[in-house]
Amino acid sequence: MTTANYYRAEPQEALVMRPLADIVLLYHRPSGRTHMVVSPVPEILDALQRDGGGTAISIHARLARDFDLGPPDEALAEIAAHLAELADLGLAYLK
Amino acid sequence: MTHAISLRIGPATFRVGSAWPGPLRDLARLYADYPAPLDAIADYTVRLELAGWARRWVRPSIFITGDHGLADAAPMSLAHGLLAAEMGMNLQMALGWRRHLLLHASSVEKDGRVLVMTGESGSGKSTLAAQLGERGWRLMGDEFALLDLHSGDIFAFPRLISLKNRAIDVIAGDVPASRLGPMLRGTAKGDIRHLVPRADAVARMDEGAPPALLLFPRFGHAVDVRPVAQGETFMRLTQASTNYVALGEPGFAALTRFVTHVPACAIDFPSGDEAIALVEQLWAEAL
Repeated sequence: MTTANYYRAEPQEALVMRPLADIVLLYHRPSGRTHMVVSPVPEILDALQRDGGGTAISIHARLARDFDLGPPDEALAEIAAHLAELADLGLAYLK
Repeated sequence: MTHAISLRIGPATFRVGSAWPGPLRDLARLYADYPAPLDAIADYTVRLELAGWARRWVRPSIFITGDHGLADAAPMSLAHGLLAAEMGMNLQMALGWRRHLLLHASSVEKDGRVLVMTGESGSGKSTLAAQLGERGWRLMGDEFALLDLHSGDIFAFPRLISLKNRAIDVIAGDVPASRLGPMLRGTAKGDIRHLVPRADAVARMDEGAPPALLLFPRFGHAVDVRPVAQGETFMRLTQASTNYVALGEPGFAALTRFVTHVPACAIDFPSGDEAIALVEQLWAEAL
């Protein structure tokens, strides 16, 4: 896991995102699987989809415009870990 | 099959065949007031077959089969033939039904709105539904609630109510014998006696209605009420559904709508009377 890994997003039509009161539901059309996620995963996915892809560094830069992410090193490591998990789940692809 | 009967329960039709007449005689008596199937083609076939050729005479045993079956299901005593037929119909619904999102839940209706109750076996959902069904509510089902994929309404599957152990004493004394099946002692779930739903539940079994409240009942604890968050509700309902995965995106959309529109509470109760008071109070608050 590195902050320089480049991930490609799933196309927008592949994912149905439905926020509930306390979590966000993701329905992944190609696999038919439902995922339950909480912040910051929906925000990371959204940023990834807006740009078509990105690295932990570029996603961090985009999210930092709208959110207070705290110490950059910790936030970068967390984003990199979430991107790797999303790739494991088939919701993003390591390029 | 030597003996056969056709039944309609809610939107589903069954043809139940048996190597013996006994289980079907019970079915014919208990389902006598249900409407006849709309056509000759049943949605599902259930067969009660001999478990080994000698079993017709020596400790006669049957196993359940049909359109959908479980490979490792243990044979049952012929004396529990009615239970085997009911289990066979449940099995076909659980494994084969695709027209609704099927929730393992009981449901009752009042004033055009539905109360849905889900929980594991022994939670009290079935007994509670049976009791409410005798006290001014329309019983829609004690086992499966059918969530319509388009309208979001709940539809009924009012098969015979399966009273177990202490619930038999609680309810059987208040209903006429004509609405009760034979006492089935020593089944895998203890003593079981089937109850025919009230006439209005059968006459109105094709009427759906929108859900207004979801409860997770738990029998045998001090009275307690706890709101259940939408995320937990969604997760528990996916676990309570036998066809959520098979339905794909329409199932996801229907369940998401249910969870975002229907308030959910977990309720604990030590007795039926306290449970009913709690349900009536929560129902009044929800509407």
